[in-house]
Amino acid sequence: MEHNQKGEVDSNLLLELKDIVIPTLDKKQIILNQTSFGVEEGSIHAIIGPNGSGKSTLAYTIMGLGNFKPSQGKIIFDGIDITNLDITERANLGITLAWQEPARIEGLSIPKYISLGVEDKKNINKIILEALKIVNLEPEKYMNRYIDESLSGGERKRIELAAAIAMRPKLIMLDEPDSGLDMIVIEDFLNIFNKIKDLNMTILLITHREDIGMVADHGTLIWRGEHLLTDTFPKVMVRYCARAGLKEFCKRTLFDDNGECPALDSDYIDRIFREEGMD
Amino acid sequence: MTNSKYPEELLRSLEDYNIDMRDFMPGHGSGAKLLLDFNKVKGLEQVDGVILKSREIENGIVADIIIKEGTKIEDPVHLCFGVNKETGIQEIFPRIIAEDNTEVTLQAHCSFPNANGLIHKMFGHFYIGKNCKFTYNETHYHGEKSGATVAPVAYIYVGEDSVFDNIFNLTKGTPGKVKIMIDIYAMKNSVIRSTIRAYGKNKNDSIRIRDSVFLEGENARSIIKMKAAAKDGGEVLMYGITEGNAPHCNGHVECNEIVLGKGSICRARPFIRAIDPSSSVSHEASLGRFPQKWLDEIQAKGLSEDEAIQILIEAMLRET
Repeated sequence: MEHNQKGEVDSNLLLELKDIVIPTLDKKQIILNQTSFGVEEGSIHAIIGPNGSGKSTLAYTIMGLGNFKPSQGKIIFDGIDITNLDITERANLGITLAWQEPARIEGLSIPKYISLGVEDKKNINKIILEALKIVNLEPEKYMNRYIDESLSGGERKRIELAAAIAMRPKLIMLDEPDSGLDMIVIEDFLNIFNKIKDLNMTILLITHREDIGMVADHGTLIWRGEHLLTDTFPKVMVRYCARAGLKEFCKRTLFDDNGECPALDSDYIDRIFREEGMD
Repeated sequence: MTNSKYPEELLRSLEDYNIDMRDFMPGHGSGAKLLLDFNKVKGLEQVDGVILKSREIENGIVADIIIKEGTKIEDPVHLCFGVNKETGIQEIFPRIIAEDNTEVTLQAHCSFPNANGLIHKMFGHFYIGKNCKFTYNETHYHGEKSGATVAPVAYIYVGEDSVFDNIFNLTKGTPGKVKIMIDIYAMKNSVIRSTIRAYGKNKNDSIRIRDSVFLEGENARSIIKMKAAAKDGGEVLMYGITEGNAPHCNGHVECNEIVLGKGSICRARPFIRAIDPSSSVSHEASLGRFPQKWLDEIQAKGLSEDEAIQILIEAMLRET
């Protein structure tokens, strides 16, 4: 898929943002300025950028949360203009969000929580069991448990992910799925993302960790409320590192054991760092 | 053993609680039990280490329940105070003694499925000895007509090194007029955990609950959790009281109440007091609607706001 600088693409888009501007609730400031990009169906698309750059705000706006409404622009999902639809309507079209601090509703049984968004009530048990297996939770340990303080952060994130998968949405947005998890768990999560992709679901992955984004086919860089670039993930990653002045880190992350990055021209990193005045 | 027929309607009213009604019948199930039909004792069964005695009085019974020293039983002792009639007065005077080193659960069900002018009163005294683990789990069902007036009072003494769990559930059906008062006196090193759940569902439901813990012994600890919802004109008032009256004692009161629909009222009045400089007592309360984040989390799965609220109420008031 070829992108131009605005992230516009021609083919097979599930989600399109067109000139979206997101203000603060009092409309006095802009959180995210003039953003346009597309997310290809069946892909993993990462949104990266430093803390506070507006990544989660973007996810909340796509999901349709009440306090996050664009002041201009359009959101097109699966060919439908969803800009003025509410959160429930968007979820019923096939969008869902796995939250950064998920599964906070203590007192619900885990199967009940996972089944909240399942339409096929006849096969509900089968769907719950499958979802638990996809996120690598042993069903026999979780089918009779409740959401409560005995669950670890990692378990809560897996349960939330299982609930999202059980919905069989077209688009799952994952808001910083890596936060608060150790490296072993993160490695497992990367495998889970690929399993979700194999189920023909599209993933919009919000992260500020570049290594997590490496699983993505495409990426979008948000920097201090500005959409800088949408492109293949390695190129987005280079631009991010160049903006932050992290050349060694960039090479370490992108280069293989032979010191090469097949996805990029040999002089690409140096060129982008020069453009950003960080050479 | 008394073994006369127990009204099936009363037993059926317990099915919502996933209870096998046969376990309640004398001669069935393995636990000790005391079954009341209005003001008549219909079943009384003892097990080793548990003495159950009852005496009928004009409008009810006096019941003595004694757990003998060192007795540890897994099966709960069932107390079933049912009334099938629409009206009348039922008064219960339980006197409960758990001697030292005992472990027991008392499971009480107060079921009034047809209540329409019925009055139920309880005046209970609990004495929990030293080094005990005692759970008192009381669940009420007052039918669907908001026709009950229910006023239980309990005074509970918890001895040194003992753990006392108190669980009170009033979430199914329509409660009617309810006034509950619980006073718990906690001795040295004891632990008190008290959880109250109530749901007022219309303008004829008025629930007032006072749950008090007095930390009288050194290093006594307590937590009171009060969870309530009021909808369509229902009213709930929760008083959560904790006094830290001894060195190094520690208490906390937590109250969460949800208001739904016009005319509904939830009130929380935590009262905390510490008179020893080494003691610590705290409270937190939230009233009103559920946090928007919780609603968003459910609505992002395709449910409407109303459906999300029902799910959250179900979770908050889940009976244990």
